[in-house]
Amino acid sequence: MLLVIDVGNTNIVMGLYENGILQATWRMSTRDEKTSDETGIAIYSFFKGENKNIKDTTGVIIGSVVPNIMYSLIHGIKKYIGIDPIVVTADMPLGIKILRDNPRECGVDRVVNVIAAKEKYGTPAIVIDYGTANTFDVINEKSEFVTGFITAGIKICADELYKKAAQIPKVELISPETLIAKTTVDSLQAGIVASKIGETIEIINTLKRELNIPDAKVIATGGLANIIDPDCDIFDVYDPVLTLDGLKIIYEEYFKDR
Amino acid sequence: MIMVIDVGNLNIALGVYDGYKLISSWKLATNPQLASDEIGTLIYKFFEFDEIDPKKLEQIIISSVVPNIMYSLTHGLRKYFGINPMIVKHGMNTEIKINMDNPKELGANRIVNLTSAYHFYGKSCPVMVIDYSTATTFDVIDEKGVFITGITAPGINICAEALYSRAAQLPKIEIKRPESVYCRNMVECIQAGIYYSHLGGTRYIINRIKKELGARNLKVIATGGMARVIAEKNSIFNVCDPYLSFKGLRLIYEMNYHDAYLWEDE
Repeated sequence: MLLVIDVGNTNIVMGLYENGILQATWRMSTRDEKTSDETGIAIYSFFKGENKNIKDTTGVIIGSVVPNIMYSLIHGIKKYIGIDPIVVTADMPLGIKILRDNPRECGVDRVVNVIAAKEKYGTPAIVIDYGTANTFDVINEKSEFVTGFITAGIKICADELYKKAAQIPKVELISPETLIAKTTVDSLQAGIVASKIGETIEIINTLKRELNIPDAKVIATGGLANIIDPDCDIFDVYDPVLTLDGLKIIYEEYFKDR
Repeated sequence: MIMVIDVGNLNIALGVYDGYKLISSWKLATNPQLASDEIGTLIYKFFEFDEIDPKKLEQIIISSVVPNIMYSLTHGLRKYFGINPMIVKHGMNTEIKINMDNPKELGANRIVNLTSAYHFYGKSCPVMVIDYSTATTFDVIDEKGVFITGITAPGINICAEALYSRAAQLPKIEIKRPESVYCRNMVECIQAGIYYSHLGGTRYIINRIKKELGARNLKVIATGGMARVIAEKNSIFNVCDPYLSFKGLRLIYEMNYHDAYLWEDE
């Protein structure tokens, strides 16, 4: 069994693969203070909850954008699974070329996403991940990670607005049916989500136009993607397990028979 | 002479009108912890530095979205300028009609901006005011000055700060229009992201409201610090007016003290 771990700023998402097929996914909140034991025992509990034996794990691969929790995570895995996890970094040779001044400083999550998109859906592709941040990344036909934009995720924008503006209440985030709003709650619900829908449309159009990739496939992932485009009118594909599959693909291609 | 004061979540903008001419303007950070004497003396010093005689001030008019600072501000102004300031609130003459279930939910700054926009840019067509502030707000009134809709979205700086504080590996960035879509480092990725995000949000909201209202002749007036960044090289607004709220405050003062005589600008 292969355990893949996607460490994001807000959540850690894990996937368990058996014979290349995803059997289970789990989410944990990303917290600095957790010790190796707390992390390890949580993972053990997830396995138990699915009636899987944690000792049947043959490999663990991690992609992370949160340096601070890595010590606890790696040591928790070593102690409770008995395996040295592979930690993916952006400067590993993974079959793509990252067109940046310093490829190493590119977020690993984005590298994993474009690799997954390339394998599963082909190139050119625009990959959008709606998480703590919204990332929009482009991989072209030459397997080059050409460019990418980063913006603030839907939820963190809303949270920051509540924090900094005096008269604004918290609202539920859903795609607005109309932009005719006459109450504070309607005004906010419409504004927060509509601004992010507009963001998505503008960035996709800008990338397609400026990079001359009008036929690029648009693949979305991330928990909050459903708020933006519940009917998939804007995305070509919504793939909630894109990042997990990406980690699995990387493991099988480069690390399996080490 | 009239002093106009626009109290926002981030900044307090102050202006002094001599007749209908804006002769001075200043900005302060909005700090609710400041005491009356601190605010009062600070503003007084602005007058001194710009050589404006505070005794010539007839009235002060304030619009505010920060209740916490009002005590200190009004008391400071009373003490150092000898004036009891007018505070913009619902029920004042403004030429616009707020037909909401709860009109008090529309912030004073939005009433001021709409009053200004209607007077200077509207009347023959519906008008949308976009204020790029702590929040980015989109407010629409029709040809008769009737309020149609108001949208509140997280502002540009808010989004940039959210990213910086919640994402471990991301740096603080300067907000500006990116030179290229090819981002070679983290800073450029974020700059491009934030810029296109807000350009796109603006575009989508304008177009969708135009469509829902069937208002193809909607005039879009932008104001607020970041309006120019979005306006540059994009023909997305009809007008960019950084002094919209000052003009609105001056107008509301007039409308509530001089019934017959209304100010026509330019």
